[in-house]
Amino acid sequence: MPVFESTEKMYDVLGTLFNVLASDPVVGPKYRESNIVIKFTITDPDGFIWLDRDAKVICGPADLKPTIEMTLSGDTCHQFWLQSISMPVALAKGRIKAKGPLPKVIKLLPLLKPAYAAYPGIAKKHGLPV
Amino acid sequence: MPYTELNLDLTEEHRLIKREVHDFAVEVLRPASLELDKMSPEDVTRKGSPYWQCMAQAYRNNYHTVLISDEYGGLGLDPLGVHIFWEELSYGSVGFAVSLGCSCFSSFYATLLCDDYLIEKFVLPFVNCKDASVMSCWGITEPAHGSDNLMTGTPFFRDPCACQEVRAVKKRGKWVLNGQKSAWVSNGPIASDAALFVNLDPGMGFAGGGIALVDLNQKGISRGKPLNKMGQRELPQGEIFFDDAVCPDEHMIIDPESYEAITELTLGHANATMGAYFTGVAQAAYDMAMEYSRDRVQGGKPLCQHQMVQSRLFDMFIAIETARAFSRSAMVFNMNTTPPLVQYSIASKVYCTEAAFKVTSEAVQLFGGHGLTKDAPVEKLFRDARAGMIEDGSNDSLSLAAGEMLLREVQ
Repeated sequence: MPVFESTEKMYDVLGTLFNVLASDPVVGPKYRESNIVIKFTITDPDGFIWLDRDAKVICGPADLKPTIEMTLSGDTCHQFWLQSISMPVALAKGRIKAKGPLPKVIKLLPLLKPAYAAYPGIAKKHGLPV
Repeated sequence: MPYTELNLDLTEEHRLIKREVHDFAVEVLRPASLELDKMSPEDVTRKGSPYWQCMAQAYRNNYHTVLISDEYGGLGLDPLGVHIFWEELSYGSVGFAVSLGCSCFSSFYATLLCDDYLIEKFVLPFVNCKDASVMSCWGITEPAHGSDNLMTGTPFFRDPCACQEVRAVKKRGKWVLNGQKSAWVSNGPIASDAALFVNLDPGMGFAGGGIALVDLNQKGISRGKPLNKMGQRELPQGEIFFDDAVCPDEHMIIDPESYEAITELTLGHANATMGAYFTGVAQAAYDMAMEYSRDRVQGGKPLCQHQMVQSRLFDMFIAIETARAFSRSAMVFNMNTTPPLVQYSIASKVYCTEAAFKVTSEAVQLFGGHGLTKDAPVEKLFRDARAGMIEDGSNDSLSLAAGEMLLREVQ
């Protein structure tokens, strides 16, 4: 049984998380400055989450060209934000597959920090195991 | 004359890097590498030698940070820029290119992990260093384990019959290190820290490994004599001994759960870089041969007017253009794809080192007797290229590992 019981639930949880990130006073401007589009292709349940160049969160299909595309399962996503699996290990083991220049992926990592702090609370609020 | 650029989409930044690094390689690195080639390994590593002068100059140019994100003050080049950078640097000296490539090992891992403590401890001092005193090395090779260390994905890698000799054992919250790394560790005699590949669980064979970022200027660590070798003599290589050396727990960045995957990722990037290095070596030999063939008169006319010489130059040209096209593709693809398809990096390394060996050998042949003397730099390039077929994994062993990868892909 996947952690996210449906695509809608996943959008609800991860959409909230990404909006926290995008509205962070440090991360938001830094992300916009980097001028990139990130696409998360998530499996089980299937869905897409985008962060466009203006740090706007889009849940579902979108007609954008991603700079970085991350493909991962919903369960890996949950574990990643709970920090029970690290990005380099997940990437090296193929649990997260990344398409896009490695230097840009590395540059992105420090921007994710506020999401690590926020995710357990968001997950708990939505009744997910933490 | 510079080679014709077949990529019509090069950016202004790419062209700038290409020109700048090429000039530095020709004007600074090549003369120094020829001087260092004649020196003893001890004199090469001695403070104040041309090696240190060149490395300090490279650090001041920020060339040591080519793989470090601009987030931390590095050059943060894109994948094609990274290839161009390494090829042009190796055009002047592949030994210096390897030394600079290894200098960022600990910092590169730290940026991947994005841990504040490790960034503070390793990345910032490295990026801010301007005299080459902060320098890392890839501490993987051992007296009894060379290329077999890199046979990830094969049954051998998990066989308890063999494992890393440097052991790390946890005592009172810290890792205690014992054992020896071999004389082939690039930067080994002079590095200030190491990305050290150790064994944590011998029962798992090589897969029971871990990676520790280790301060090499501490009690319990000593170095062997710098290695006296055939090629790339400007590159300091030497043994490192661990006798109850200590590593804080937070410096053990990889454990057996992910060791094999991270080793494969490392191999993927290292071998792609080797492809770029040896394209540069081959191009340098070709340019020297072309110039010589236009000056040297034999049989009443310049060498280049003999059809056999023209045919030889054309074969060299094909090998270099193929090496460049393939190694660029492999590096750009694998720096855009995580986890990388390592078989392409290995193919690039094997192909380009063999192409460089063939081209440098043909260049020596074209120079005739002069090519066998110490007065002709092609003689050094030939020795440098020969080393490339063994360093960073022997081509034979790497081919076996890549063959397994191809089979895994279709199973």
